[in-house]
Amino acid sequence: MILNGVTIDDTFAEAFNMRGTRIIITAQNLKWAYHAANAMTGFATSVIGCGVEAGIERELTANETPDDRPGVSILMFAMGSKVLMQQLENRMGQCILTCPTAAAFSGITSEDMISLGKHLRYFGDGNQVSKLLPDANGHNKRYWRIPVMDGEFLTEETTGMVRAIGGGNFLVLGQSQAQVLAACEAAIEAMKKIPNVIMPFPGGVVRSGSKVGSKYPKLFASTNDAFCPTLKGVVKSELDMDIESVMEIVIDGLTFQDIALSMKVGIEAACSLGKNSGIKRISAGNYGGKLGPHLFKLHSILNGDLDGITGNEPAGAKA
Amino acid sequence: MSALTFTLKKTVQTAVNCKNLTPDFLQSKTIADINAIKLATNLTVADVFEITGENTNILQFNQVNQHLHYIGYKMRSGTVIVQGDAGDFIGAEMQGGVLICKGNAGSRAGDAMRRGLLLIEGNVGDYCASNMKAGTLGLLGASGAHLGYGMKRGTLLVVNTPKPQATWLNCGTLNLPFLKILYKSFASLDTQFATLNQTRVNRWVGDVSGLGKAEILELQTD
Repeated sequence: MILNGVTIDDTFAEAFNMRGTRIIITAQNLKWAYHAANAMTGFATSVIGCGVEAGIERELTANETPDDRPGVSILMFAMGSKVLMQQLENRMGQCILTCPTAAAFSGITSEDMISLGKHLRYFGDGNQVSKLLPDANGHNKRYWRIPVMDGEFLTEETTGMVRAIGGGNFLVLGQSQAQVLAACEAAIEAMKKIPNVIMPFPGGVVRSGSKVGSKYPKLFASTNDAFCPTLKGVVKSELDMDIESVMEIVIDGLTFQDIALSMKVGIEAACSLGKNSGIKRISAGNYGGKLGPHLFKLHSILNGDLDGITGNEPAGAKA
Repeated sequence: MSALTFTLKKTVQTAVNCKNLTPDFLQSKTIADINAIKLATNLTVADVFEITGENTNILQFNQVNQHLHYIGYKMRSGTVIVQGDAGDFIGAEMQGGVLICKGNAGSRAGDAMRRGLLLIEGNVGDYCASNMKAGTLGLLGASGAHLGYGMKRGTLLVVNTPKPQATWLNCGTLNLPFLKILYKSFASLDTQFATLNQTRVNRWVGDVSGLGKAEILELQTD
């Protein structure tokens, strides 16, 4: 497949089941909402080293938040519910409780509700105040008001935990590092407009894609040498000689369709720069279809199949 | 379905006990069953009220007066609207739901209330919110003596400057963003409370003669 002069590999991204949640952070103004949200989603690029993958989903106007203040929504993903709960509590305590004027609310409902401020309330040392109030749909929600030095920290008691998918991805291959980065930036700008997804790496882009295993027994992952331009003549490379740089965009989302849609708009945005921008190929990272249950086939997605009917093939599908 | 409405037939001059006229107690009862409920010695519902409507989850009392006591007593859910004045112990030991009084109420409003929302648009008598354990009581009018006596937890939202006892501690004036969420819970209700929007309050904490975890929030001009 050729899109605007850019070759789209006949391959797929391989993704995994995760647990996810959404939190709404509000503050006196957007500046302080971002301070809180950036702290909470900091050091959350990969579950491998950070426990969770998290990012800012979008800005919220005052009309969209529970306390009528501006804010942002955050999505947070982990490989299991226990880790997600632990990380959420830690980050709430260190990043939101501490941030002036910030408040936290549930951004998603589910049968599985996990602690948001439920345990954090004890910081109030007995002076915390609980309020059980109905939302717009008449469902009662419990809030905690915790006395802090700037006034009062307000947090909802719980938030929903849902089944989610992590690890959707695509690779941008091009003639130079600067050109590949420019294409990735264009992709990220377009993908940020898609709800229910985050791109957890710095600026949404990752340069250090990995493969399973290593020559060093203690490491379970190492550099994706087949896509490293400096090793083209050393290993069994996936790169032609005119490829000087490869970058990856990783996507976590609430559903298969959300990730597929974000991949589609991202690839289209990267390719919209055209062949003359130095972008040569779009590919994707996978493990041969043997590890992750969700396969995002690039050709299917770009042909408009966002439901994975043809893309979500059983493990072992041909790359 | 329209609200189950109790309209006073005649001017009542003796105490009427409305303890059993709550959405929870009347659920799945027929009109005949409800008419037979005793309100006082030799007084049944049929003697005092004319009943219209059928939705037992929303009760309305029309043309009522200060002789009707214990309206909303121990109610756990639903909505009760009082069009007129209420007697003593309105919302006493409430466990949930919404109770709106559009007139004045007697003494001990919200006594030992545990949960729910009690909104009184008029004045109240003595011992308002006495021994209250939790929940929210809003008051647009004036209050009598001993406001919040023995109040343990919960919120008393008042518009007029309160005259609490010495066992209530003034914590000063500040902004509480949480009030925006509280006001949103008023928005769908047929009450003057739905127009509130101030988040600046003077906060009192008490009653420190007991547990002392309750608060009186006196609304200030933003």
